[in-house]
Amino acid sequence: MDNDIIKIIIDIFHYLFFTGSFLAVLSYVVLSIISAVETIEYVKKNSFVNYNHILSSPISPSITIIAPAYNESLNVVENVRSLLSNHYPNYNVIIVNDGSSDDSLEKLIEAYDLEHVEYVVNEKIKTQPFREGVFKSKNPAFEKLIVVDKENGGKADALNMGLNISESKYVACIDVDCLLLEDALQKMIKPFMEATDHKVIAAGGVIRIANSCVIKGGKLIEVNLPKNLIVQAQILEYLRAFLLGRMAWSRLNGLLVISGAFGIFEKETAIKVGGYDTATVGEDMEIIVRMRRYMEEQNKKYKVAYIPDPLCWTEAPDNYKTLISQRNRWTRGTIETLRKHRKIAFNKNYGKFGLLSYPYWLFFERLAPVVEVTGIIYFGILIAFNLVHWQYAVLFIALAYLFSVLFSIVALYSEELTYNQYKKKGAGYKLILLCFIEPIILHPIVLYAAIRGNIDYYFNKKKKWGAMERKGMTAAETS
Amino acid sequence: MQRSKIVLAEDNSTLSLLLKYRLEKEGYEVLVAVDGKEAVELVESHKPDMVLADIMMPFYSGLEVVSYIRNKLKKDIPIIIFSSAGQEEMVLKAFNLGANDFMTKPFSPNELVIRLKRFFS
Amino acid sequence: MNLYEYLIDAFNQAPVLIQIGFLIVLALIICIITLIISLRAIRSYLNIKGKEIIKNKKEFEALVVEYLYSGTGFDELSEKQLAIITRIKDAIISTSKRKSVITILSNLMNEVSGEMSDSIKTLYHKIGLITYATQRLESKKWHIVAKAIVELRRFKVYETQDKVATFLNHPRKEIRKEAQLYSVHLFKFNGLSFLDDLETPLSEWHQLLLLEALLNLENQKICDITPWLKSSNTSVVLFALKLVKIYTQFETKETLIELLSHPEKEVRVYTLKVLKELFGYEAEESLIENTSTSDLRIDAEMSLLNLVKN
Repeated sequence: MDNDIIKIIIDIFHYLFFTGSFLAVLSYVVLSIISAVETIEYVKKNSFVNYNHILSSPISPSITIIAPAYNESLNVVENVRSLLSNHYPNYNVIIVNDGSSDDSLEKLIEAYDLEHVEYVVNEKIKTQPFREGVFKSKNPAFEKLIVVDKENGGKADALNMGLNISESKYVACIDVDCLLLEDALQKMIKPFMEATDHKVIAAGGVIRIANSCVIKGGKLIEVNLPKNLIVQAQILEYLRAFLLGRMAWSRLNGLLVISGAFGIFEKETAIKVGGYDTATVGEDMEIIVRMRRYMEEQNKKYKVAYIPDPLCWTEAPDNYKTLISQRNRWTRGTIETLRKHRKIAFNKNYGKFGLLSYPYWLFFERLAPVVEVTGIIYFGILIAFNLVHWQYAVLFIALAYLFSVLFSIVALYSEELTYNQYKKKGAGYKLILLCFIEPIILHPIVLYAAIRGNIDYYFNKKKKWGAMERKGMTAAETS
Repeated sequence: MQRSKIVLAEDNSTLSLLLKYRLEKEGYEVLVAVDGKEAVELVESHKPDMVLADIMMPFYSGLEVVSYIRNKLKKDIPIIIFSSAGQEEMVLKAFNLGANDFMTKPFSPNELVIRLKRFFS
Repeated sequence: MNLYEYLIDAFNQAPVLIQIGFLIVLALIICIITLIISLRAIRSYLNIKGKEIIKNKKEFEALVVEYLYSGTGFDELSEKQLAIITRIKDAIISTSKRKSVITILSNLMNEVSGEMSDSIKTLYHKIGLITYATQRLESKKWHIVAKAIVELRRFKVYETQDKVATFLNHPRKEIRKEAQLYSVHLFKFNGLSFLDDLETPLSEWHQLLLLEALLNLENQKICDITPWLKSSNTSVVLFALKLVKIYTQFETKETLIELLSHPEKEVRVYTLKVLKELFGYEAEESLIENTSTSDLRIDAEMSLLNLVKN
């Protein structure tokens, strides 16, 4: 009797596991097809766009770049210079020094000839107070620059301060250690200006990996494939996420996250929903979910746009330790965001958002690692009791492996036909080889980090409030 | 008589070819740079008598070229800047940095020659 | 051979699920191999193509420059120019070479003015590019049509105006947009007449491009904007307001005041902004008193506050 029940449970478990795997594969196939359609459309549309006009127009909308900096003394002066050299007629840059304990502020004051100015903030979002206050440059060459020195409050809090101070229609929130290409703003603002029957509330950009690339004077001179295997594997991972995943979700208007490293928001909506949430480590995902939720509740037509051009380059972690702590944080961010907004799940009042995007995120981003590890443990038990049907097991593993290789290659294909950044001889072979080893060298680490994230979230309360202590390396978010 | 040397920094290759022919016909020696970085290198190695530079160029902008010649190399050779509509602000900056004249695109090569000759007379 | 038979046997005796799985594995492997091979092929194709583009560019650039400097100074072409025309004409039967020539010429059009740009236009006509562009207007693919219109606009080809005019209300946004831009680039303010009965919305981006087209023209007389201010198409009203502001059309004051009770908030707010710009602060105070409904008053005051802050 007992045996029967156990058998039934095991059978149900099997079916669930296989259905899950099947759905995951199916979702990848569907997303790849959608992304292909969207990519072709995007390339066609942009084959005759002339961006020069926006550079000379008296009606180009205003943009503020907000870049929070925490103990970035080493590179902050160079990075600010690169932010100031964007090709856009109507923008300014707010550097929020978030209570750095190093000499970032002094370096900025010296390099840009800054002087303290009296400034009364219209505190639309509550933030930590000023420390030294607001600085502007005496040199007209740097009139675009505003530096704000405030008490430490975390990345979200620093971004909120920027939102309070900005007087522009749009804000571009970026990590200060990112390299923005000169045409980044003009390309990113286009979807906002092209919308007619709906409102674009935010636009996300692609994050590309800058390790080993040649950067001089704040400009990307040469793109190289790094030697480090961990970084190489992440390049492939990012290509998959951005060229296949996000492209498809943007077609479906279902993007739930735009990279914290580079995204543009319509300021009015961002402030209306209360700005960034300081209580989560996943503030970049959370604000998009909240803005979407707000628009759905207001019954307004809206879109979260996505620009696939390689405009933002950042250093990715090049060792396992940093990588794990980064992914651990992303996992906690995802859990926190999904929990906070669980009301949306399967709620038809939220339309596609509640019925498609949220569940997808829940099952394939939030729960997938947990399911996978459960599967591995279960497999281990079966081995221990010598209950494995090896024929099935080997076949299943082979299928899973081959599918993952196939999707990586499809992503490479897409990259080759669109942006083709890795043009150097030999890079092509390396990338193909990478498709075969990436599942072995990167996936286990990512999986481990995700599980650690889960454990930290549920059992390690101290880590949970880790939002306050900002990590130096704030690399990009992928899906 | 030694021919006057001109460094021309312009990323539109057809335009630079067009101007190069025109200026060579006028009796100048023309060195073409495709971006600001190359322009700076040419100025350093060839010691030209004049520099023509587009404002919007890859790697180093025309502004940076002007700044480099004036501040780093401490040279006061004439510099003419090419700008496009809507870059008035940049042109002003270029003047502050020490540019001598500017021409707004689209311009006529004849006009450029007239302006250029003024500096050599 | 034994091994092969053994495998076939093993396969036949295996459960159905295993058989299916095995077939999928095989299919995947074939997929992966095909993709890798074509990936390599594409890579080398792009490589060769890239080199060819550079070669073409070098060749035609030199020809074009030579053409431009071989003029007689009079209207008729010199013999050298005629020879170059024949040479280019024969070459551009190949699509890639044609593209190369178009790119060179249109890049140059943006950079030079006066006689030189007239000379480029003549070259464009003489080598027959206009015929190719007109043919592309008939294409069923929207992006080809749109690109062809862009090209005709850039070289200011008036011959195709009737054909392009049929695209002014085209259902495909991109085609419609390019046709409208063509109209404004070639006919200035008169080209804006499509606004009279435009039903589709003009995006911000599109308005910016139209404005740029107008602003790049010199010595032109602006036409009467009032009808567009009264358009039932909100985006046309907003565009007209921008024209009022940029061309300081004081005589539209009456219409502007009427617009303060427009059903769209965006129009009301923007009208207020324009009024402030044109008639100053005092005018505005009286305007607020004139506005009747209380809802609008609050609106107006709110936007006033915003204005003061900016």
